Amino acid sequence: MDEILQIKDLTKSYRDFKLDRVSFSIPKGSIMGLIGENGAGKSTTINAILGLIKKDKGTVRFWGKELDSSKQIKENIGVVFDGINFYETLTPEKVGKICAAAYKQWDSSTYQKFLERFSLSKGKEIKTLSKGMKMKLSIAAALSHRPKLLILDEATSGLDPVMRADILEIFAEFVREGGHSILMSSHITTDLEKVADYITFIHRGKVLFCKRKSELCRDYGMIRCESDLFEKFDRADILAYRREGNQWNILVGDKEMAKNKYKNVVVDTITIEDMLLMYVKGDKPNEEPYIKGFV
Amino acid sequence: MKSLILKDLYNIGHNAKSMLLILLVFAVGLIMSSGVESYIISAGVLCSMMIVTTFTFDDNCKWSKYALIMPVCKKDIVKAKFIVLVIFCTVGVCVGTIFGVSGGLVMRKLVMSMESIVTMLFMAFVGLIVSVIFGSMSIPLVYKFGAEKGRMLLLVSFVVPLAICFIVYEILMLFGVEITDQLVFVILCASPLIALIWVYIMYRISCSIFSKQEVIG
Repeated sequence: MDEILQIKDLTKSYRDFKLDRVSFSIPKGSIMGLIGENGAGKSTTINAILGLIKKDKGTVRFWGKELDSSKQIKENIGVVFDGINFYETLTPEKVGKICAAAYKQWDSSTYQKFLERFSLSKGKEIKTLSKGMKMKLSIAAALSHRPKLLILDEATSGLDPVMRADILEIFAEFVREGGHSILMSSHITTDLEKVADYITFIHRGKVLFCKRKSELCRDYGMIRCESDLFEKFDRADILAYRREGNQWNILVGDKEMAKNKYKNVVVDTITIEDMLLMYVKGDKPNEEPYIKGFV
Repeated sequence: MKSLILKDLYNIGHNAKSMLLILLVFAVGLIMSSGVESYIISAGVLCSMMIVTTFTFDDNCKWSKYALIMPVCKKDIVKAKFIVLVIFCTVGVCVGTIFGVSGGLVMRKLVMSMESIVTMLFMAFVGLIVSVIFGSMSIPLVYKFGAEKGRMLLLVSFVVPLAICFIVYEILMLFGVEITDQLVFVILCASPLIALIWVYIMYRISCSIFSKQEVIG
């Protein structure tokens, strides 16, 4: 089984939001970045994957099995949410004891090493720790039961760049150990650019694409041009567009094709953040332009 | 499940000193006015209320969401809460008995004799049963209405068992059954079984409520 996690047609409806047939897979030994604007459905997807909310339709399989089929599956999954889930009067030492009682695979020496590495004092109450240190404690707890899959929901949000770099390094180390994978939801796209192998983009509850990051960087491009040139563009070549003053920004999904087809334009390489902005803030060729596309 | 129990005990451990102080204050007030027996039962009931506090702690740190990613299921989480409740009640009546007997001797409300020791132990047993019955009613209420509203609805967990007792009493009266000492003794002997059935019903109701809930915060 090469895929650690397979999600197929995951659907969940709320009164004002629908997670609509979300499908993607995470291959062994890779980091999958889940991106999207706030409210796009990233956390709903993760909650549904983890069985915290009941899905209406679809399947979620870890190593080919449903999550509720065996407690052993949960032993192999480490999860870090956007804050610490232990009460503020607990200490790292007590957190370790609670987790040790929960997981058969708990490795106290690994936990101890993480505490030392993160300079976390065993007897210090959680309420006295900074946000970054709390996050490190959550990561230490998640990694010390030897999981094979790490699920992170906005785990790096609200941390300073130094702290984020430290944490990303730990994730990279985790994946380098054979067969480990990470599903990482974040709206800090630069983090994902650094570590992700695949990117799944969720927008308004739907998966816009799920691709290798290298393919995205290779294929996607941004064209900046004036109105007269924009009018000449074949709408089928445009994924999204946005007007900024007199300039038109055009997102294309095939950089090479665009370069060959439109000789007078410069096609720039695009960042994931640019891409996200274009999809979220820009207009689609098959949609009527709406006001937010015109800045 | 051990981890869930351990977590609640660690969390509440922080409040242990305050609870001891409250029990001491109550000891002074209740032993003088109502006697040692009432105090022992009250100590158990007071400690049973701490189960609602554990839910407040859980809510503050979104614990339930985290607990469900551990190798436990929703039923384990509910079961652990009932076990923690029994631990709280047991500690409550034990501390209550120690404080009560000591206070009773100091305040001359109790004379040290074999008979009074047996009476106090019996009251500790009654206190345990009563506090478990009252406390277990609060668990489904908290699952249904949340820790904050559940705290306000604590009164319900006292009123409902009392109302049931009253209704049973009225029915017995209606059928002309006389409440004799012998009957009271039989009821007291059956009380652990009654408490067990009551706790089981509350456990099933809690499981049913919690199983339908989506745990996102």
